[in-house]
Amino acid sequence: MTDSLLTPAMEELRPDLGEVVSLLETRAPYGAVCLSSREMTQYMVENNQERVIPGEPTAGVILRGFDGQTMRERCLGGFDREKVLREAKDFIQGVEFAGNGKIDPGEERVENFQTKMERDPALVPTREKLDYLREMNQRVNQFDSRIVNARVRLTEFREKTVFRNRAEDLAQDIQRVHMSIIVTVMGDKGVVYDTKTKCGTAGLEILTFSDEELEKLVKNTIKLLDAGRIEPGEYTVVTAPGVSGVICHESFGHGVETDMFLKERAKAVNFIGKRVGSELVDIYDDPSLPGEFGSYSFDDEGLLAKPTRIVSKGVFERGLTDLYSATALGIERSPNGRRQDLTRKVYPRMTNTFFGSGETPVEDLIGQVEDGIYIAKISSGMEDPKGWGIQVTGHYGFEIKGGEITEKMYSPIGMTGYVPEVLSSISAVGNDFGLSGGYCGKGTKELVPVTDGGPHLLLKARLG
Amino acid sequence: MISRIRKALENQPAIKAWIIRQEISRSFQQYDLKDRSEAVREVDTEIYTVDVLCDSEDSEGKISSGLGTVSILPGGDIESTLEKAILTAQLVHNEPYDFAAPAAIPEIELADPAYQKDPEKELGRVLATLKEASKAYPHVRLTAAECFGQERQTHLVSSKGIDASQTATDIYLQWVYIGGEGQDEVETFAEIQRRRTSDLNLEEAVSRQAQSTLDLVQAGKPQSYTGPVVIQGSTLADMIAGEMLSGSLLGTLSNAGLKYSGETPWEVGKSIFRQEVKGDDFTIWANRKLAFGVPSSAFDKEGIPAQRVPLIQENKLVSFIADQRYAYYLGIKPTGSFGCMEMPAGNTSLADLQTGSYVEIAEFSWFNPNRLNGNFACEIRLGYLVEEGKRKPFKGGMLVGNLLDALADVIWSSEVGFYGNYLGPRGARFNSLRVTE
Repeated sequence: MTDSLLTPAMEELRPDLGEVVSLLETRAPYGAVCLSSREMTQYMVENNQERVIPGEPTAGVILRGFDGQTMRERCLGGFDREKVLREAKDFIQGVEFAGNGKIDPGEERVENFQTKMERDPALVPTREKLDYLREMNQRVNQFDSRIVNARVRLTEFREKTVFRNRAEDLAQDIQRVHMSIIVTVMGDKGVVYDTKTKCGTAGLEILTFSDEELEKLVKNTIKLLDAGRIEPGEYTVVTAPGVSGVICHESFGHGVETDMFLKERAKAVNFIGKRVGSELVDIYDDPSLPGEFGSYSFDDEGLLAKPTRIVSKGVFERGLTDLYSATALGIERSPNGRRQDLTRKVYPRMTNTFFGSGETPVEDLIGQVEDGIYIAKISSGMEDPKGWGIQVTGHYGFEIKGGEITEKMYSPIGMTGYVPEVLSSISAVGNDFGLSGGYCGKGTKELVPVTDGGPHLLLKARLG
Repeated sequence: MISRIRKALENQPAIKAWIIRQEISRSFQQYDLKDRSEAVREVDTEIYTVDVLCDSEDSEGKISSGLGTVSILPGGDIESTLEKAILTAQLVHNEPYDFAAPAAIPEIELADPAYQKDPEKELGRVLATLKEASKAYPHVRLTAAECFGQERQTHLVSSKGIDASQTATDIYLQWVYIGGEGQDEVETFAEIQRRRTSDLNLEEAVSRQAQSTLDLVQAGKPQSYTGPVVIQGSTLADMIAGEMLSGSLLGTLSNAGLKYSGETPWEVGKSIFRQEVKGDDFTIWANRKLAFGVPSSAFDKEGIPAQRVPLIQENKLVSFIADQRYAYYLGIKPTGSFGCMEMPAGNTSLADLQTGSYVEIAEFSWFNPNRLNGNFACEIRLGYLVEEGKRKPFKGGMLVGNLLDALADVIWSSEVGFYGNYLGPRGARFNSLRVTE
């Protein structure tokens, strides 16, 4: 059972949007209207306190006029019909649209989409959510008396969107959920923490944690108290799926968002159709993956979700676009036009970005390593689309000796390298697959939900 | 709408205290791509946020306080939204506390009159100045720029008797330079956030960024190195005060909420360092009163007035940064939100910091130390190896260490600078840090 597709105010305004588009197109070569409502609520239970914290919601109308040269937008809070019609008239008055814009509005289509879920957070009482988090907090604390805090956090995100242009009338109701458990331990050498996260485009039914998962989280946190710093140098490295994902995200994710091509910020523009990694490397972006945190049915510019193959057998095929960059570059659009919320512009953005799986069983992949490092948990990454440098910070990793992961732990582990060298050094790709979710910024702003991941990888890199 | 919300709140006997915040904002955004305008946006928003505090009994029968917060958009259903807030507040159980009482609110300069007069014109002027200043560096190309301005009016009223208003502006500018040619092309990316356009110091920022771009073209590979490391300007400010993406380590460890949850080892009156201080003593204020500081405010979201709080003096923690609730719990005076980092000038000139052999780091890919213990291993986007007066640029490698250990062995410059959220020494010489290849 799920909540209604749109809010009553959005439902009421939706039938009039065709009129607004017609009004915009009396002057603009291409007009579109978007109704957007985004809400977030966070529930948190710690050892000695609890909270319910709503994020600042956004709800309103985006009026859009585009001539192939400049994208103009006017954003209004609320869904008042008369105000929208009045502002639409004002918005296009006095603007000199270029007359040569030929923007394809897509095929005629009227469709509604809604996240499939068993337990819609909107229909589960707050008391039940808090009780679940309290129980989770107690389950974590029972594993070790050295825990100073177990912060259990559930975050719900609801996005309701209507997109209307002269051909399309689309609506979607997306429910995202995210749950993290952060365990903090204090020792003689300082404070350490580790996290376990689950998330998806789904209901609360996906947020369950086994005792085995929680015990492993606590054990790793305790182990971090005695983790050492790695001796800098070049290593044979095995990356866990979450770490593989960040390599993918920072190398052929941000670097192939095609606004970067227009700004001359991306080295990849010179490598279309060229080799950028070993033959084992396939990279995809796919907002249509069911249930993943970065998934949706259509992007913020009305293009239906579908997969994009970015790298095939080590050869760079194409980048990720929004309407503007695809128009300016004269290439086919991919469904990656995304905005943080109505207060922000659309950019080409990643969704679920990952290395394709290979054929090597993970035990065999680790078994090939006589002396190396297993990077188990990611901390962060940063893009360098022009220099193709990689900065990936692993939260921790373990020594590999004689084909086996040992108990010797290092934290943090910085990984650097030149993207084509790192991707070319991939000598085995695991037959497993995993995605990790979170929020991705463009530079330091424009946060959107994404996942990244893939299989375990065997590669060479500089660590420090 | 505030009076309607207020009336509805006053009719609810279950509520112990309440706060209403009205925020009205209008922003203009201009995006330039080479010689054309890529996008132009105008955004109006208005929102009312209501905090309600209720006391109730927890499962053991003890009195507890709970906070419920809701947001209401213009035209929204006030009654049902407030009921949701009250229900939440009654379900959340924490140690009892109360909201802030009224106190004198200082006048803090937060708004740029030049922007307020004509926002679109002022943003256009900023972009034109950027383009004009960039022409002085013919070996770099300006390929993209984004300039945003926002004016935000906040009106806060509370059941305790606070009734305060403030207006603030925010200016954000980013741009991209490309240098070199063909396969050797490089890019640099600059990003500045201030309260007013005159604090962007565009000519100086353009000059620095253009030089970095040219140096990056010439940059070689890093060498392994352990020794003095000099860091200046906004890169230093980001290390100390944090940048837009991540908070600061000092802000995290001095947070009363983290003290209450047992996650910070810091104690008032004790050194924040785990080792003996070998360099200059470390002193810092959390200053929300700093005029035109990006995190400055006359009052924060609880209505607590701006303060200049002595945070660390001569290496020892003086005070935790506490909102009303954690101040109640820890029995300390509430400071409200953190504000800007302010440090005193050092005793050594920038010129004297840059003597002998040393490494200077101009830019990191991202300086992001572990948020609780300060360990870091961060990629260097542009650095210089300085030997016998010659500056040799390099790119890549990592700076590896621990931020607290680094701050215990540093010399600060006597020249000071303002970088939006940081007012303090413009340069620092860390006596012993490690650069890896």
